[in-house]
Amino acid sequence: MNSKELGKKSILTKLGGQKFIVLLVVIVLFAFFAVASPDFRKYTTVLSILDYSYYIVLMAIGVTFPLITAGVDLSIGTGLICYSLAGGYLVVQCGWPVGLGMLVSVLFGIAIGALNGVLISIMELPPFLATLCTCMITRGLGSICSKSFGISWPAASAPGGWFRSIFKVTLGNTKYPLGFLWILLIVAAMAFVLNHTRIGRYTIAIGSNKEAAVLSGINVKFYHIMAYVISGFFAGLASIAYSAVFATVQPGTGAGFELEAIGGAIIGGVSATGGAGSIEGALIGVFVICLLKTGLPFVGLQANWQQIITGLVLIGAVLVDIIKKRREAK
Amino acid sequence: MKKKVLSTLLTAALAASLLAGCGETAAPAADTASSDAGAATEEAAPADTSSDAGSGEAYHFEIIVKSYQSSYWQAAVKGIEAEAEAKGVTVNCTGPNAESDIADQVNMLNSAINNAPDGIGLAACDQSACLDALQAAMDAGIPVVCFDSGCPDAPAGSVVSTVATDNYSAGATAAENLYPALKDKLGNGQVRVGEINQEATSESIINRGLGFIDKFAELAKADGYTVAVIGNEKYVNDTKAETVAEADADIVIEVGVPAQTTVELCATEAAAIMNKADTIGMFGSNQVAAEGILTANENLSVLGDKILAAGFDAGSVIKAAIKDGTLFGAVTQSPLAMGITTIDVLCDAADGKSVSDVPTDGYWYNADNMDADDIAPNLYD
Repeated sequence: MNSKELGKKSILTKLGGQKFIVLLVVIVLFAFFAVASPDFRKYTTVLSILDYSYYIVLMAIGVTFPLITAGVDLSIGTGLICYSLAGGYLVVQCGWPVGLGMLVSVLFGIAIGALNGVLISIMELPPFLATLCTCMITRGLGSICSKSFGISWPAASAPGGWFRSIFKVTLGNTKYPLGFLWILLIVAAMAFVLNHTRIGRYTIAIGSNKEAAVLSGINVKFYHIMAYVISGFFAGLASIAYSAVFATVQPGTGAGFELEAIGGAIIGGVSATGGAGSIEGALIGVFVICLLKTGLPFVGLQANWQQIITGLVLIGAVLVDIIKKRREAK
Repeated sequence: MKKKVLSTLLTAALAASLLAGCGETAAPAADTASSDAGAATEEAAPADTSSDAGSGEAYHFEIIVKSYQSSYWQAAVKGIEAEAEAKGVTVNCTGPNAESDIADQVNMLNSAINNAPDGIGLAACDQSACLDALQAAMDAGIPVVCFDSGCPDAPAGSVVSTVATDNYSAGATAAENLYPALKDKLGNGQVRVGEINQEATSESIINRGLGFIDKFAELAKADGYTVAVIGNEKYVNDTKAETVAEADADIVIEVGVPAQTTVELCATEAAAIMNKADTIGMFGSNQVAAEGILTANENLSVLGDKILAAGFDAGSVIKAAIKDGTLFGAVTQSPLAMGITTIDVLCDAADGKSVSDVPTDGYWYNADNMDADDIAPNLYD
């Protein structure tokens, strides 16, 4: 993305810059864990990593848009749980069809996203503050929606359990991670949206230089809202992935999920100061976090190390971004 | 100016939503409490220490649970609210969003003390974080009853009573029932038994985990097998079991503790153990840990034949897994009875009567007895 501005193109930038480095990190991490633990090499482990990655990847795709506008969306983690509880309550307690419950989850996400957008774009609240408020609101709303009870969406074998096979199908005795196919398709689609459509280009324009975007006649207020609507929509999709993978959704949880998604997006090359970023980078970045999360217990490291190591990796990613910017400035 | 008005409105909206949240949690509990209260009161009868219900004074108690994260706490709150209504006292139930939000809970305890209630019921997330606040409560003359989890290091006299499952013996109950079922897999080389604990900070979880380890090791030793305990340092250091080095052990008990109390991270810890070829048994010491083991099994499909797993607590997912044979069995407590007893003890303490600790029981249940009359009422969804 910045290759044009660079005087001399290094091999790295030709290969995709930070994304390429991060992809290497993913491969090295996987190889390391596979060598260190024979159990890690098993197909079922890969299946679990994918299972537990879907909801974070979907959140990361969505939150990339606010991040590129130099904003942030902290409401996606607790939001995800809230949308899943709301949809699940209607399905489990009120007998709604599963498809309709899923639709409610997504619409709820879009609504909270729009609220974030209006607070930030029209009412000019700082994104950090606005989405921190909606983070608290969705945490409370989730408990209200489910009357504070944990919700178990229908099990795979129960009536209505078909939705769990969106992400994982069993053919014969083998389970296939069908969800990863959808993730790849969504990443391709959203990468196109970000780089080749008005909504994506304007999102980048707002992040690089908001004044210039206003002066060039872009309806900045509208496109700024849309960045948060996209984030909310994907939090809604992530809630479906979460409901489908995990047996029970517990009210009061979800805080911290957003940090994994935001961390993944930043590791994948979304600029911490806005204006640049990529969807495929976010996908790869999330896998760094997911690999660490799954791999470290396999090599016998106590789980607290996982958080320390993830934090260190994040610092590394942000430093790469800063050094890149400094070089460009020279 | 415009900004100020807006932010005021937003703050008001936020506050309103929080208040609405509290109101809402109380409502369903009250609805269902009436139907369950009868059965639950009978349950609590042996533990009931109160002589005359309703001493005429309208006491107000502040109750702080560990979280609203699992239906276990919802059942406890149900018991608390039903008994409060029966006794004609008022209660205000709060709790942090997750059991790992220790600082939040300490803040809630401090504000509860500031409200100067006639008593405080506390299920402490961390057995040492509340000590200063407990001293403050004692200085303010407010009796504190700990329920579910005790605070063993509390300043003398601050905690007047602890109403809790004897978690150590409840953990041992799981070992007593799991060990005989694994017995014929012992003796042919080293085997592994995994234990997942959602954290290593609360007394109840620590004691359950240790109770399981110690009892399992004791039973194994009686049969002439040696045991090693590996994994989380807290459990490795605190076990009373006679242990040997990992390489020399017939049975390795491996303890996994996730960084946060989520089902996903429990599942990852569980999968790391369940993947090992020599693993024959698993124990999850609460609802989240047991569901983590079940989540890991979604992809591994090893429970039931290769690995026998025991859980703790109930909930619809665990109950279904026991019914279909995925889980070998589980230990349940009686949260309803615990809630009822907590209010009874608080009333007695407020009346100025002398009160003492009230241990409540843990029961083993499996596919055979889960519908029995003495078990079924404790198996909340």
